[in-house]
Parts: sequence; structure tokens; C-alpha cells
Amino acid sequence: MTYQVSVFLENRLGRLEKVTALLREAQINIRSIHLNHTANDWGILNLVVSRPELACEKLNASGMSAALREIVVLTMDDKPGGLDVLLKAIAGAGVSFTNAYGRIVNEGGSAFFMVDVQDIPEARSRLAGAGLEIIEDAQVYGS
Amino acid sequence: MYWEQSLETLDRSSLEKLQIERLTNSLQLAVRSSHYGRCPAIGRLLDSGIKSIEQIRDLPFTTKDDLRRDFPWGFLAADKKDVVRLHSSSGTTGNPTVVYHNRHDLDSWANLMARSLYAAGVRETDVFQNICGYGLFTGGLGFQYGIEKLGCLSIPAGAGNSPRQIKLMRDFGTTVAHAIPSYLGRLFDVFKEEDLDPREDTRLHTLVIGAEPHTEEHRRRIEEMFGVRAFNSFGLSEMNGPGVAFECIEQNGLHVWEDAFVVEIIDPDTLEPVPDGEIGELVMTTLDRQAMPVIRFRTRDLTRILPGPCPCGRTHRRLDRISGRSDDMFIIKGCNVFPMQVEGILMKLPEVGDDYRIILQTIEDQDEMIVEVEVKKDWFRGDLTLLDRLQKHITHLIRDEVLVRPLIRLVEPGSIPKAEGKAVRVLDQRRK
Repeated sequence: MTYQVSVFLENRLGRLEKVTALLREAQINIRSIHLNHTANDWGILNLVVSRPELACEKLNASGMSAALREIVVLTMDDKPGGLDVLLKAIAGAGVSFTNAYGRIVNEGGSAFFMVDVQDIPEARSRLAGAGLEIIEDAQVYGS
Repeated sequence: MYWEQSLETLDRSSLEKLQIERLTNSLQLAVRSSHYGRCPAIGRLLDSGIKSIEQIRDLPFTTKDDLRRDFPWGFLAADKKDVVRLHSSSGTTGNPTVVYHNRHDLDSWANLMARSLYAAGVRETDVFQNICGYGLFTGGLGFQYGIEKLGCLSIPAGAGNSPRQIKLMRDFGTTVAHAIPSYLGRLFDVFKEEDLDPREDTRLHTLVIGAEPHTEEHRRRIEEMFGVRAFNSFGLSEMNGPGVAFECIEQNGLHVWEDAFVVEIIDPDTLEPVPDGEIGELVMTTLDRQAMPVIRFRTRDLTRILPGPCPCGRTHRRLDRISGRSDDMFIIKGCNVFPMQVEGILMKLPEVGDDYRIILQTIEDQDEMIVEVEVKKDWFRGDLTLLDRLQKHITHLIRDEVLVRPLIRLVEPGSIPKAEGKAVRVLDQRRK
């Protein structure tokens, strides 16, 4: 199971920096970052980090609202059309997602695609059924 | 010059005599209601006979809480079959307040309204557009009946839809309009968007503005924008609604119609009367309402009596513009809002924390109510959809309660300053 850390953030100067400072202090590596902001002065910061439980604990202890949220991580080729091939396969499996973001693993090789869905077990079984490779946590978090 | 010269210019001692006579009648009616029927002081005063209007101080005050507690029929002093209309305040939590009128009351109210408009220079040749919500809100029907009584051509335009308001003004040659002051800035912007200038492209000469406290500077700005004279109107639903006090063409204080109301200004702490010229809480008694007399109602509005006579010749004393409240109520977009109403809604929601803050701000010429709400840590799941839904849910709940659509700002836990002692929950940053 793979988790992202989701943090509630107000759209104010210095809020993001407060998060990165805390993670830096705890020696937690950020592997991927995604900001999901609404037009309403607040939003959610999604982070894939080396130690999600610890990151979540540190952020909550500092007074922020953070939660671990399970995601599905898929892989794709890092070349033109790579994402298109993957998205066609996801759609073919009948899985719709509420949020998604990507990250290159190594230049010219492969990339990860992080997907936030409502029903994780259902999505996993459908994606696996469609022959898609689901990347597990150790690989995603890195070392 | 006058709608009813003899009444409007009645010498003070005759006016007091009239007040005593009407107060006696009013008290005799009031004791028929279950609320005032329980009040022995009224019987005592009636038995001894009223010699001076100041004896009204022997009677207890009536508060908004009294009106709520004895909702819905406790203040009704007439047979239900004789009552022809009610107006009620907003609110779904707790009891609203309600005021009843029989035919006489509606006539009397319409007459006060016509008298007020006449004093501000409105005549039967005018075309009067009432830009105001109709329905339970008293500004709609209250003005409507007065405009008709006076004999103007009335346009019951209702609130909102600025392009249509402008079209009505131009199609029918509107000369007078009534609106809340905070709306007029918005209306002016729509004139500009349509490449029109209200000074050139309408026949407006007078605006009546009320239902919201505003400053002299704000009035002057409105007059400049529209090329009109703007007159301040004061009323409250417990005393009918509009038509309680109104500016005459002198634009210096609002004549309060003392043949229809007894006015007192008290110190809100000691409850003792303050001398003319000093600011205190306005207390009012109806003198000419049969279905529901209200005695010594504490309005919570802070103002003062302007000393000295008015050059217009009216003998009815003048109130200064409202300078504040002795409670925490605020008025936005013409609606009265108590922070407790907002708090009551928020505290029922498990998703939000205990701290909240209401910020009143002028955004693009419109006054807005922003409510800052803390999302509870243990409810947060990192799901944007849920937060979005929560925000919409709170917006609807508050809008249904106070009739004003709030802007809900979800904030991080702990970011609202902790309330200590008497909490400052409302921050008024509106442009005055």
C-alpha cells in the first residue's frame, strides 16, 4: 500500500515553506509534490515522501492538518505518448480518478503516475486485471 | 411643504397631550395580549391616569427576547379575525419575531410613510422605483403602500438584477428610488459597464437610503455618483418598518413621528434617560398600532436627539444617524445578523472547530460577509471534494438562516485568534 501525505493549506505567503522546512528538519525526502488549490483561498498539498508516517506525525504535531491518503501508483514510459497509452489503459479498466500527478524516475526511462481514487481495492483489482503494473511503496518512497 | 401640516407642526404641549391620549388607548389595548396582560404596572398607570408622558418610565421595557419568548401569539392584542398582515424576522434557529397589523395599522403605517417621503420632497408627480425585497421584509410592502398613498407611480422592482433596474429607470423615467446604500455602489458600476451615466441618462432626482447605518460621507458619495439628493430613512420591523423617522429637505437629522411613537434615549447600562444631545440607546413605544402595541422596546440602536428646532418647521424631534449598537448585531445587505445565529450553525457541525470569525469587507463596491471556519484536524482526510462540499453546505446553512450569502473561508486549525473573555467575533472592515 502506498500513501501520499495530504496537507490542508491556506493560500498565504510562507505556508508551503513551513511544510518543507519541517520535512527538511526531519530529514525526509520529497519525491513528488502536487498542489491542489481551489479558488477559495485554500487547498490541499499532496506529497510523496520517503517516510510518510513520520512526515504526517511531524506536520500534525506542528499544528497543521495532515492525513495519510492511500493512492495507486502506476508506471509509464518516459517518452512521447507514454501518458496517453497509460490513460487509455486506465479508462479501459473503467477506473476514474479524482486527482493525479506524475514524476520521472530516470531520464528517458520510466515515470510514475500517482492516482487518487475513491475506492482503492476496486481500482487495484481492475487495474491489475487490465494488466497494469502497480508500483509498491518501497519503490515509490525510494531510500 | 407638509403632508399633514397641523400634525407635523403641532406645538410641543399639544403634541404631548396627544401622546398621552394615544398612550392611554394603546395601553388599554395592550393588556388584552397575554404578554402585557401579565404586567401589573400597566394597570396601575391606567388607574392613576397619565399626566405626563414621562410617566412611561414606570412601565417595564420590552426586549427582542420577550418578543421571541412569547412567539407567535403572545403580543397579539386583537382578535385574529381582524388581523390582516404579519411581518416576521428571518431565522430558523430559535423563534423569529413577528408583528401583526390590522387594517387601521396598515393605513396608519402607509400614512407615516407618505408623510416621510413628502418631507423629503417626493410628490405625486414622481415615478418611484422601490429597489427592495418584498415579502416578509418590511422595506418592500412598507414603502409600496406609502408610495401609493402619496400618489406616485410606483414601480415595485424588488431587489437585485441591476441591468433590469436600469432598464426600468430608463423606460419609465424613474425620478425617485429607494435602496440600501451598499447596493447603490454596485448599481453605479453596472451603469458604467453599460456605458451609461446615471446623471445624464436617467431622470433621478432623489434617492431614499436606509435599512443600513451609513456615514455622512457615504451619503455625499451616493449623491455625487447619481447626481441626486439622498435622504436617510430609519425604521425597524418592531415599530412597523420604514416610516419611523425620516430626513426632511434640511438633511440634518431624522424627524421621528412623535404622534405615532414615544421616543426615549437611555443609558444602556444604568437604563436611566440621558439628556437631549447625548448618545444612548433608542427606546420606542407604538402609539397608533392596534393589533400589536409594543411598549418601551429596546431597539439596541445607539443615537441621540438633536437639540433645537428644525428650520423646516416640524416640531417632531430629530434623531441623529445611528452610530452603533448596544449589542453585537450588525447589518449587511439590509439584513440584521446576530453573530449567535452564525455560531449556532457552526457549532452543530462536527467537521469544524470552535473558533470562527466574521469579517465584513467591501469587495468590488459590494459589502460581503466572510466567515472564517477552522476545519477540525481529525476530520481532515486529505479529500478536496469533501472540503468543497463542506464549504457549500455551510454557505447554504448560513444563507438560509440570515438571508445573506456568506463567503466561507476554510482556514487551518489554530489560525483564528483565540477568543478571550468577551470574544471579538466580528471584524468590520467595510468602507464607510
